[in-house]
Amino acid sequence: MVSEKKQTALDIINAYQGPKIRIMEVCGTHTHEIFRQGIRNILPPQVDVISGPGCPVCVTPVGYIDEAVWLALQQGVTICTFGDLVRVPGTKMSLADARSQGAKIEVVYSPLDAYDYAKKHPAEAVVFLAVGFETTTPPSCLAVLQAKQDKLTNFSLLVANKTMPMAYEAMKNNADVFLYPGHVDAVMGTKDCENMLKEGVSGVVTGFTAKELLTAFAVILTLFPKGKPFFRNCYPRVVKPEGSPAAQKLIKKVMQPCATEWRGLGIIPQSGLELRDEYAAFDARKKYNVPKMQGRANPACRCGEILQGTCKPPQCPLFGKVCTPEHPVGACMVSHEGACSAYYLYGGNVR
Amino acid sequence: MCVGLPARVMKVQDGMALVDASGAKRQVSAALLDELDPGDYVMVHAGMAIAKITDDDTAETDDILEDLN
Repeated sequence: MVSEKKQTALDIINAYQGPKIRIMEVCGTHTHEIFRQGIRNILPPQVDVISGPGCPVCVTPVGYIDEAVWLALQQGVTICTFGDLVRVPGTKMSLADARSQGAKIEVVYSPLDAYDYAKKHPAEAVVFLAVGFETTTPPSCLAVLQAKQDKLTNFSLLVANKTMPMAYEAMKNNADVFLYPGHVDAVMGTKDCENMLKEGVSGVVTGFTAKELLTAFAVILTLFPKGKPFFRNCYPRVVKPEGSPAAQKLIKKVMQPCATEWRGLGIIPQSGLELRDEYAAFDARKKYNVPKMQGRANPACRCGEILQGTCKPPQCPLFGKVCTPEHPVGACMVSHEGACSAYYLYGGNVR
Repeated sequence: MCVGLPARVMKVQDGMALVDASGAKRQVSAALLDELDPGDYVMVHAGMAIAKITDDDTAETDDILEDLN
């Protein structure tokens, strides 16, 4: 008896003879890692990898930038923000432009750093730009709790946090299989993916190393041709079925679901988060009576379609010509997790 | 912004953990994790440890491929 040689993930991928398949990554870091590791180059031609709405900066609508610019210039607040929001164009200007007009913009790594900044600078009114998915929401909630406990009155949040499940719903016809975001599931568990499976939508959740990504593709390419919907957790060293109950509890204590606007996808009910009434004192929109802002993006920019996976960056007339990482027109080129920035950076690998 | 950093826990005190992410050291919140000890590996997002890392990717992916057969 000859013992069979163990098949590697790469063997499985190389041997794929199955039907055409569209795999959507729903995480900006997956987009970049798949490019950076050259995985697109080794996938068989009938395997199409498309980027979904998983970059938090990219899905933040233009009107949100306008609100932040208004707060900075009209109200004179200090804006604390993740760095990649600074250069996202608003209707008239970005936060970087506002800074050149005298606005105070501080780049922070964590909402907790914004809270520390507010504590150390009691004379400044500090607004933290709370964007992000389930991964970045818990520290924003913790910052609010700490601020309430410390009776910090110069700290508030401009909240645009989003949650993934309704976005999966909105995207489910644009792909055959989802590559679910590993760290969202580390927080939320695999319940939402299981629910998608009940609707007949396939997916795997995976991590970010070459081994994890190749294994995830091997799993997809093995199970997809069998024709039966599937879900597999390919990241069990970080993702537990129940996720992080402590993080879920923290989010629920401070925030509640609301309808929110996604760039490209429009307003999706129950897909956003807002502060609960008991934390209204930390809601920058209420504190400063922020007027409603209908942002307007550059009409030629196709970020909206790119975020839905219906257009690839090189198909946008601006891509690589007037829209580059140095002079971004759309959010997907600004953020290091954006699809346009990945295509631009790893342009030689484009397919 | 939304980038997970794997990091090794060096010290745990008062709900905070000093972590080492490939040489970069900083304090992160450990409020979400019970029973965190020095030497554990955690996934850090925006200054907060969101999950413990319980294995390396080689053992994990070997198991997954094994299950496929």
